Formats: sequence, structure tokens, C-alpha cells
Amino acid sequence: MKNETVERKYLPEMPRKEMDELRNTVKTASQKIIADNIEHMKKADPHRPEAMKYFDEMADLFGKRQKEIAAEKEKGKKVIGYLCLFAPTELIMAADAIPVRVNSGWYDTSKLGDRVVPVEVCPVIRSTIGAKMIELSPFLEQSDALISVLTCDGMTKLGEILGDTKIVWGMNIPRIKDSTQSLRFWNDEIKHMKTQIETFTGNKITRKNLKEAIETSHRATKAFRRLQELRKGNPVIMGRDAMLVNQAYTWDDKKRWTEKTEVLCDELEKRAQRKDWVCSPDTPRVMVTGTPMFWPDNWKLPTLVEEGNPQGIIVADEQCSGERILNDPIGVDEWSMDDMLNAMSERYLMASTCPCFTSKDGNEDRINWLLNKVKEWKIQGVIYYVVRGCMLYAMEYTRVKKALDKINVPVYYLDTEYTREDVGQMKTRVEAFLEMLNARIDI
Amino acid sequence: MDLGTQRVQVVVLKDGKIVGRALAMSGFDPTKAAEQAVNEALEQANLKLSNVNHFAATGSALDMAPYANSKVSMMGADAKAAVFLVPKARTIIDVGAEEARAVKCDEKGVMVDFVLNERCAAGAGAFIEAMARALEVKMEDMGPLALKAERASPINASCVIFGESDVVSLIHRQESKPEIARAVYDAMADRVSAMVHRLGINPEVVLVGGVAKDPGFVVSLNRKLGINVVIPEDPEYVGALGAALIAATRVKEDPK
Repeated sequence: MKNETVERKYLPEMPRKEMDELRNTVKTASQKIIADNIEHMKKADPHRPEAMKYFDEMADLFGKRQKEIAAEKEKGKKVIGYLCLFAPTELIMAADAIPVRVNSGWYDTSKLGDRVVPVEVCPVIRSTIGAKMIELSPFLEQSDALISVLTCDGMTKLGEILGDTKIVWGMNIPRIKDSTQSLRFWNDEIKHMKTQIETFTGNKITRKNLKEAIETSHRATKAFRRLQELRKGNPVIMGRDAMLVNQAYTWDDKKRWTEKTEVLCDELEKRAQRKDWVCSPDTPRVMVTGTPMFWPDNWKLPTLVEEGNPQGIIVADEQCSGERILNDPIGVDEWSMDDMLNAMSERYLMASTCPCFTSKDGNEDRINWLLNKVKEWKIQGVIYYVVRGCMLYAMEYTRVKKALDKINVPVYYLDTEYTREDVGQMKTRVEAFLEMLNARIDI
Repeated sequence: MDLGTQRVQVVVLKDGKIVGRALAMSGFDPTKAAEQAVNEALEQANLKLSNVNHFAATGSALDMAPYANSKVSMMGADAKAAVFLVPKARTIIDVGAEEARAVKCDEKGVMVDFVLNERCAAGAGAFIEAMARALEVKMEDMGPLALKAERASPINASCVIFGESDVVSLIHRQESKPEIARAVYDAMADRVSAMVHRLGINPEVVLVGGVAKDPGFVVSLNRKLGINVVIPEDPEYVGALGAALIAATRVKEDPK
């Protein structure tokens, strides 16, 4: 266990009183924002599925789920937090621990992070640092250890900074995807993580436990994909509702999430039969790609699109806070320990479209994902969302634009910050883009 | 009506012709400024408020527009008006007080792509204003001053604030005012031309917005782009004209 008296390398010592005051202020503001977002989502769809009630409850980061995890911890369960989707959550589940993603979506705490790192740093990082400084994030605070995967520069240093107060395990992801050495190396990282988790939790990861965990993920992926399939046709669910469901997986109980998502999908199927669309079928169909959009504050773009004049609907995304979470199943041939670990390494490395990768053909996998989505989900326009300082996504835009230009699908580069002040400017841009899509549809 | 950050422009269109137009400073109450400009433009046209079939609003403060029946994005208005004024226009650069944007459009004046200077005023008119202040010259004298420069002295306009400190260091190096003025326009033109290049340059390239009237900027921009941009008469009215043209099509679709 980490000794509290160890000298901190990055984080300032903040007086308890100041910390409590700041946390209470941000928490109160955040609860209001969560309630507002949900209120907007309810209003957007007068026939909103009954099943969304469950996810509305899960959306309260300071609510039910936090209490559940606290109760599990009381019983001796360990919580292992993670910062990137590359963390092998099946290993965590197999060791009877709780996996939970801990990236911060709070705008206000990014300003606190400015006390530790310069403003040029990506706000996702600054905000997570700020959340740690005032102990705001329930799931980050509940984590007994963190998995930090060295993807972008920000993530690489974030793990180090959080290491001031938490046990942090780094995972070194190879940046060239299509080479056998990379896969071998990553496989070793996964195996090493297995040992680390076993030692830490005191629970051996058996063949049986790991198989069960992988099967839990498989069932979740099935439900997840079913939901995205339902967004292919005329709109039966608002983009924001689907995005919340997708993201809730990262902190929810995996089995219960799967059940509830299946129930939601049943409801949506009936809705499709009734032809009860959430908006007119000729509403421009938008896909979002780029920087992850973490709940709850990063809801400004989807809200602007779906409440815009003219209106748009988000039917797909290519984001690690969204459809990348569960899109790909772990392909196991034989259920031996070795085979399962190999299959996991392959799934986590090869299936990812994160821009931290390059390969002989560049990050072609991401382009293929986007083009496939555009075709199958009949996307009419793409919004390329980037927060300032998110270098890898910003740089890959040029390539994505070229690929989309070729198939004559408009893409708009929208750059923003962890702030509410630019909503007016963003609205102008988003609505002009939607107006343009409408004009194209009319022709 | 074009409700911009600094000015409000109004154009009255009757049977496809401009019959009235007016300009007012937005000030603290853009709604009131727009009402004044509308009255003035209608007076010019010998029309009354009740004669107007459709009001369309554009500009950054369009939500504050009085009388508005519908709204038009600034980029959509630029495209429509530019093709009306210059039929061969396919790329429109609009540089206003706080914002610069570029729009790509088709032969009907429908925009097909656009790009804006995101969250930064270094490529817009406010930059010239701030730099004129630093040089202690009137804003309208900046352009003619820059044209007297004999050479270029580069500054890096990453933003208005840093641009100003760059200008101060040129002053400390005892550069002459014309050289510094040109440096300001060159830096702006750099930003704007990079933005237009991201969009792709399809001729004809039309420059509109208030800054299109500044000869210092036009010369620098032409030099950077290696072409001569076309500037329509009264480029500051282009946004309002575009809104009016689109209003006219909306009257046809939905004659109330």
C-alpha cells in the first residue's frame, strides 16, 4: 500500500478545507448539469423508451452506482480503475475485482489541473488531475489501483501524476500495430498485468474464471452491437440516449448493463415496427468522431446537434467514449489459458482504431471503420470533434477529410475546450453544417 | 439583416433588386441597432414594415434579430450573395471584426464546405484595430501606411495578445511604422491563407466582409495566395444581401 507521507512529485498539497469547499461547489454544479442533460434528453423524445429510466439513474455519477461499489468494497472487493480502453477488463473481472473507467468529464476541474500542468495540455488530462486534487470523482477515489496505458503523451504523464496518491500500473502499448513483435510484446504486457492483478487482489485468475469473464464481455458486446444496429434505420433512439447507454457500460455492473440494454433494444424494435420515429426520417444523419466525450459536461456537441435549428441526429460515432468500447468481441478458439490471453491481446491491440497507432498503411483501420459506418449507417455528415491539445486526433483529421472527400461526405472540424463559454460559437458552426447537409439532401 | 459583432447591416430586396440598405453600430443593444437600420433601409426604399414579406437574419447575434421570420447561417449567406454578385465565385473569404471564414460553394450559391478561424481573432479585423492602437495610428490609416513599406518583417500572429507583444518588439528594434503595419497584414494574411488552403482554392475567389475594404490586407492576401481576389462593391453588405436572397426563396416556397 502506498504510504501517504511519500513526497509528491506533481500534486500540490491542498488544505483539507479548501479541498472540501471546492469539491462541494463542483459536485453541486455537476449534479445540476447531469439533471439538466437528462431533462433535455427527455424533452427531445416525447416517446422516450421506458428502459432509459435505468440509464438515467446510472447517469448520476454520485448516486446509486457509487453506493453499490462502496458496499462491495466493504465486503472486501477491490476496485481497479483504468484510463484507456486498452486495459484488459476481463482480467479484472476474473480476479473478482470491479473495473471502472476514471477519465474526467468535468469542465470545472480542468481549471484546477492548470495549477499542475500548462493549459496547452489536453483538457481531459487537466480535468482528471483537477478531479484528483479535490477528490471529486467517485470512481477514481474508489479505485484501489489504476491501469494507465501509455497511448498519447497526456495519458503517459497522467498515470505518473496520479501515482502521487494512487497505485498505478503502466501498460506499454506498442505504437506500430501490424508487426509480430508488437503483438508479442503486448501479449507479455497482458500476461504481466494478469500476475499483477492476481498478486494485488489475492485472487488467482483461473481458466474457468477468465472464460466466464470473457463470456460476460461477449454477451455485453452482443447487446451493444444490437443497439448500434437499431440505429441503422429510421431513427428510433436519440443519439444522446444511445451514447449515454454506451458510456454507462464503463462504470456499470457488466451483467446488469447487458440485461438492461437488451430490454431497451426490445423496446426499440417494437418502436420500429410501429414506425414511431424520434424525429423525421429525413433529419440529417450525423456521425461524430475524434476526442472522447466524457459524461457529464461533454454533452454540448450532441445537444447542439440534436436540438439545433435545423435539427440533426447522431446515429453513430467513432470514439473511445462511445462505440469503440464494446464493438469487438474477443475471438477465442480454444478455451485454454494461453489461447484466451492471446485472443485478448489481439482484440485489445488489433481491433483498436485509436490514433496513437501507425502502421505500414498509416492508421488505415480507423479510415475503414469510418467509411464502413458512413456506408452502412447512411451517414450524411461527419463532425470531427477535437479538444485543444488533443494532438493525435487533430493531426489525423487531414487524412480522414481526404478519405471522406473522396466519397463526397462532408466533414466539419470542430475544436473546443473544457468550457461552457463557447457554446454560442459552436452553435453557429453546428447549425451552419446542418443547414449545409439539408441543402445537399434537398438537391 | 446581418447582426455582426461590431455592425448591423440591412438590405431590402424587391423583385430581385436592392432597393434599400443601411448600417448601424451594434453597440450594447444589437436588437435596437437592427430596428434602426431596418427603418432607415425601408425609408430609402419607400416601403413600410408591413410591406415586408419575409425577414431573414444572419450574423453572430442573429438570435437577437427583431422581426425575424427565419435565419440563415453566415456561411450560407456568404455563398448565396457572392454567387449573385460574382456568378463565377466558388470560394468566398469573409473577414469580419472578430471572425474569418472561408466557404466553398456550387454554381447555385449553395455552400458545400466551410472553415472558420476557431476561437481566435488573430486573422480578423479586431487584430488590425489592436495593432493600430499599438502603433498610435488611426485604423483607416493602417492600410495606406502598410503599402508604403519597402520590405517584410515577419511577426507571428498566433493570437491578438502575442501579436501585440511581437509588434512591441518590432518597435524596440526601431522598425518604421509602414514596415510594422505591413507585418501586421502579412501575419493576418498568413492565418487566413492557411485556412483557405485547408478548404482548397477554387476560382473565382471572392473576398467580402468589412476587412475587404482595407487595401493593406488585400495586397498582403493576394501576395500570399498568389492570385488576385475579386472584391464586390460594398463587401460589408454581403451577409445581409445573402440573407435577403435566401429570404426571397423562402417567400416563394411559403408565401404567407
